[in-house]
Amino acid sequence: MTLDIVCRVVDNYGDIGVVFRLARALSELPTAPRLRLIVDDLGAFNRIEPSVDPAAPAQRVRGWTVLSWSGPTPASAAAFELAYRGDPARVVIECFACGRPDWLEAMLFDPACEARKTIVNLEYLTAEGYAEEFHRMPSLTRSSSVRKHMFLPGFTEKTGGLILDRAYMGARERTRTEILEGIGIDDGPLLEGLAGLFWIVVFGYERDYRRIVDDIAEFSRERPVLALVAHGKSAACFSRAWEGAGRPFQALDLPFMRQEAWDEVLVASDFLVVRGEDSMARAALSGKPFLWQAYPQDGAHQLVKVAALLGRMRPHFSEADFSAIEAAFLAFNDRLSDGDDVAGSERIYPLLSLGAEGRAGFEEFSESLVRNGNLASALMTFLREIV
Amino acid sequence: MLMTSDLRVGTVFKSGKDIVVVQRMLGNKGGRGGVVVKMRVKNLLTGSTSDLGLDAGEKFEDVSLDVHKMKLSYIDGENYVFIDQESYEQFELTKEDLGDNADYITPEDDFDAEITFYEGKPVGVVLPISIERTITYCEPGIKGDTSGKSSKPATLDSGLVCQVPLFCEIGTRIRLDTRDGTFQERVK
Repeated sequence: MTLDIVCRVVDNYGDIGVVFRLARALSELPTAPRLRLIVDDLGAFNRIEPSVDPAAPAQRVRGWTVLSWSGPTPASAAAFELAYRGDPARVVIECFACGRPDWLEAMLFDPACEARKTIVNLEYLTAEGYAEEFHRMPSLTRSSSVRKHMFLPGFTEKTGGLILDRAYMGARERTRTEILEGIGIDDGPLLEGLAGLFWIVVFGYERDYRRIVDDIAEFSRERPVLALVAHGKSAACFSRAWEGAGRPFQALDLPFMRQEAWDEVLVASDFLVVRGEDSMARAALSGKPFLWQAYPQDGAHQLVKVAALLGRMRPHFSEADFSAIEAAFLAFNDRLSDGDDVAGSERIYPLLSLGAEGRAGFEEFSESLVRNGNLASALMTFLREIV
Repeated sequence: MLMTSDLRVGTVFKSGKDIVVVQRMLGNKGGRGGVVVKMRVKNLLTGSTSDLGLDAGEKFEDVSLDVHKMKLSYIDGENYVFIDQESYEQFELTKEDLGDNADYITPEDDFDAEITFYEGKPVGVVLPISIERTITYCEPGIKGDTSGKSSKPATLDSGLVCQVPLFCEIGTRIRLDTRDGTFQERVK
């Protein structure tokens, strides 16, 4: 089977990150499909996977055909023609209802071609109950030869589950010194010293981070900390708070990282502050304590999404531990917009200092997600049923 | 062409060779990329109904069918009888044909509804976007709260339960949106 995976980058690297991860997970399956990835922003793809040439409208990457959303140019027409010769688009994975480029649309809805085509809309990850309701639900298109279905990732066995790509699940094997060397730290004693600290990843949206810095500072008096400050929206805000507090613990600014290197950092860390769905899914799978920041939505609707995730986590924790987790998640997400001056009442000290039982709760949650199965396998099973 | 956001109860559209009418809106969920809508549709060619999930990106062909403006004449159990204002001919639709729209209608209604015909048979009703209804039950109103930011459930004279601001009381006449059942304003 050949799949055309279609992706439009809405903002940042979450959308393309999921597509890249999905492509890897599909290619790792015993009966792997052939893949054509159609992406509107090859520059964004290049940042998380440097072997992608942002200027090439048609190229081969890791055994996949990668095509530009903008379609063939006179110079690339032959490459596009070759990509579909004898193997026209029949099964399309449309990521996050992003639509299809006109040239693919013309191929799918060609009135002269009555062959059956299938589009699957892979939706955003949510822990809300509607994921079960909408998962595998039939949809419609304007043509009876093009059928469409919904496919929803999620946190229960009645959804498509999460992507369990080998690189991420295997990232646990990388040592901290290898990771630090990978980001350019090669001073032996420094390397050993940093590797032994309590690692906290900070990857959020713009915010006043003083409360979080204060809590990390308090915790660092018990256990020395290294804050790994991810490149992006929260870096300057966090650094400002950290400087303002007199640099109370060690902090390291991370460069922008390719996806697999970023995954290694997440898995190797002791505590994760993450934003967006893909990093939240990675954090949940890591089995490490984490704090999730959802993107702000109208009327603070993100709190519904956060509450839904908490609902999935709750069975794995004692009442006391869960209360601390819930309070931190809700306070961290209770805002109408993001900005340097947006402050909340979050306390993460109770999460940082969770006892063995609390930390085991996160591991148990991760194990339950793995038991739900790999989204890539579930997607292929579904496609074999409907195509 | 019709986008998913154009579809409402009573809309008739084409999917391939099939002609379908939207009978019920079963909820919508806001995703980051847009709204995913769940709806029940009836295939007018086969008579079968099915529940579908539609995302915001799909486009459908509009179907040019006969549409007549009519007024409700009376309700007889599960049947709704409408009268054509020009020919005075009467047409009967079942509660199933009306779908969610049945929840907005009472026998006393005098507004014009658009009745869609397919092969001479009425198959769907499109109501005015805004209609007036009376609250028959709700918890007592809170005087002074006119912000409308907080809400409570209220039962309307048509039987529909919708969310209304706290200042509303039993007997309050309200205007609501028939596309999604949301409160619009208090009628003074």
